[in-house]
Amino acid sequence: MAMVQPALPAQPRRAARRRRQLKGLLTAVLFLAPYTLFFLAFLVWPIFYGLFISFHKWSLFPGQNEPFVGLDNYRTLLSDQEWWTALQNTVEFTIITVVLTFVVALGAAMLVSANLKGQTLFRLIFFAPVVLSVAVVGLVWTSMWNTDIGLVNNLLNRVNLPSVEWLSSVNLVIPSLSITTAWWGFGLPMIIFLAGLRGIPPSLYDAAKVDGAGPGAVFVRITLPLLRPTILFVLVTQIIAQFQVFGQPLILTNSGGPGTASMTVILYLYQVAWKFYNLGYAATIAFALALIMGVVTAIQFIFLGREVEY
Amino acid sequence: MRVSRRMGRFLLYLIAIILSIIVLIPFLWAVSQSFTPASEIFSIPIHVIPAHPTLENYNVLFFKLGDVEIVRWFLNSLFVSTAVTLLILLFDSMAAFALSRLRFPGRMVVFFAFISTMLIPAQVTFIPLYVEMQKLGFLDSYNSLIWPYLANAFYVFLLRQFFQGIPRDLDEAAIVDGAGTFTIFWRVILPNTKSALAAVGILSFTAVWNDLFWPMVTINSVDLRTMPMGLTIMNLEYGGTPGPGLVMASAVIAFLPVLIVYTIFQRSIVEGISLTGLGGR
Repeated sequence: MAMVQPALPAQPRRAARRRRQLKGLLTAVLFLAPYTLFFLAFLVWPIFYGLFISFHKWSLFPGQNEPFVGLDNYRTLLSDQEWWTALQNTVEFTIITVVLTFVVALGAAMLVSANLKGQTLFRLIFFAPVVLSVAVVGLVWTSMWNTDIGLVNNLLNRVNLPSVEWLSSVNLVIPSLSITTAWWGFGLPMIIFLAGLRGIPPSLYDAAKVDGAGPGAVFVRITLPLLRPTILFVLVTQIIAQFQVFGQPLILTNSGGPGTASMTVILYLYQVAWKFYNLGYAATIAFALALIMGVVTAIQFIFLGREVEY
Repeated sequence: MRVSRRMGRFLLYLIAIILSIIVLIPFLWAVSQSFTPASEIFSIPIHVIPAHPTLENYNVLFFKLGDVEIVRWFLNSLFVSTAVTLLILLFDSMAAFALSRLRFPGRMVVFFAFISTMLIPAQVTFIPLYVEMQKLGFLDSYNSLIWPYLANAFYVFLLRQFFQGIPRDLDEAAIVDGAGTFTIFWRVILPNTKSALAAVGILSFTAVWNDLFWPMVTINSVDLRTMPMGLTIMNLEYGGTPGPGLVMASAVIAFLPVLIVYTIFQRSIVEGISLTGLGGR
């Protein structure tokens, strides 16, 4: 190779290579620059700036002095009863919602993949609520759950069951929000489960059938184990998503009612910042939540993240 | 054996139909309520289907309330979501192209810097971003509804993964034909990843279209509200009087166009989501 190349003097050859490298670097910078600008300005900088804010007493209104208060905000957090209530509500909401969503989504995915006539129509219907915004879901379900004039109680009354105070009872408000959220969102993990189910080799099912395995055994011995990567993915993304619940209690229970029975962490953050004007403390809440979510995600990877063998 | 199989099929159909009805009922309820006059909505026992259907709720919604500009909110959401999506598709695919095809020192460092931010939940940035918007003078303007959404690293990551899947023979063939870097990006990479671009476009569009938190905290003016924000505030103000019929009419106006678009494009939407393996939320 080297022998065929024209023998250039060493100096210009190195210069030519450097020019080429410089041009390549310039092209790369040009392609990366627009996105990186926004990445630095609206993602990287805010992360560090948020940490900075959390160490200060910081008001919503500009122009006031922002004194450094060290770890005061974090100390406040530890003894803030409302924060612990919000966290507890959020955990409860997340668990109920994720379990409900998981079961319905997996069931729906198996229905759609069971070769029924009209499966495209079923898929179309099951996924439809996913395209709604939380505002529309909130409005419609506020009306559905209404104690006096809502549809749910109306249907209960028709079969001679008493009306239930869904959104105004301390015990039922979180489950009601969970049912609403599962209705809204189960279509999304259903699609992911569908893709996962399609990835299971049909030969395994045939082999199981030859061995005389019933549908229950096939589900437990084949479908569930082979679906484990999908299950992990759905659980992780669902838990992260539900932990950030905001719009449902804002709209359906008029900002976390009755009392603080459906106050969630992000709703609390919203109120601390934009109702009580305490940005420093709100930033602290955000970091605490991020830490908790990080730990929960890590735990799931440890327990479910092992390699899957066929 | 045969009978139990047939029973099984029947049971599957039954479950599928029941689940479909549960999913559809709230939509139908909203439509029915939106045509129900206020006098009937509050009468007990309630009418599931209005005895005297009326267009009054829609009339009030569109023409009678000064601080309800639902058409404007719809157009705001459309404008903001479209702008963000187009900018994301352009900027993020450029970055993804550099990470996938160009050789430069520190390429892997940049890539890992991008994807490491995907581990940090978005709400960490809410407060500092708000202060930033305040300092830049972006609050209560389209600026705050567009630029911050462009920072999400997830789309760059997705696009880079797709670009990696395109055989390099295509690039090399283009180089032989005398194509430069930009031509490879525009004429080779982008046309070969149309379905990936569509998937990213759908994800980013719906994420912005449905976002409630960010508009709620950065927007004040009635005429800058997005659809979700407008509906939420309207529900607070008018949920009691004129009442649920009006609110349901606004919900119907909000979900009808979305459902129509979804029904038309459902195949590519659903395929896009299983392609990316991830949803927007």
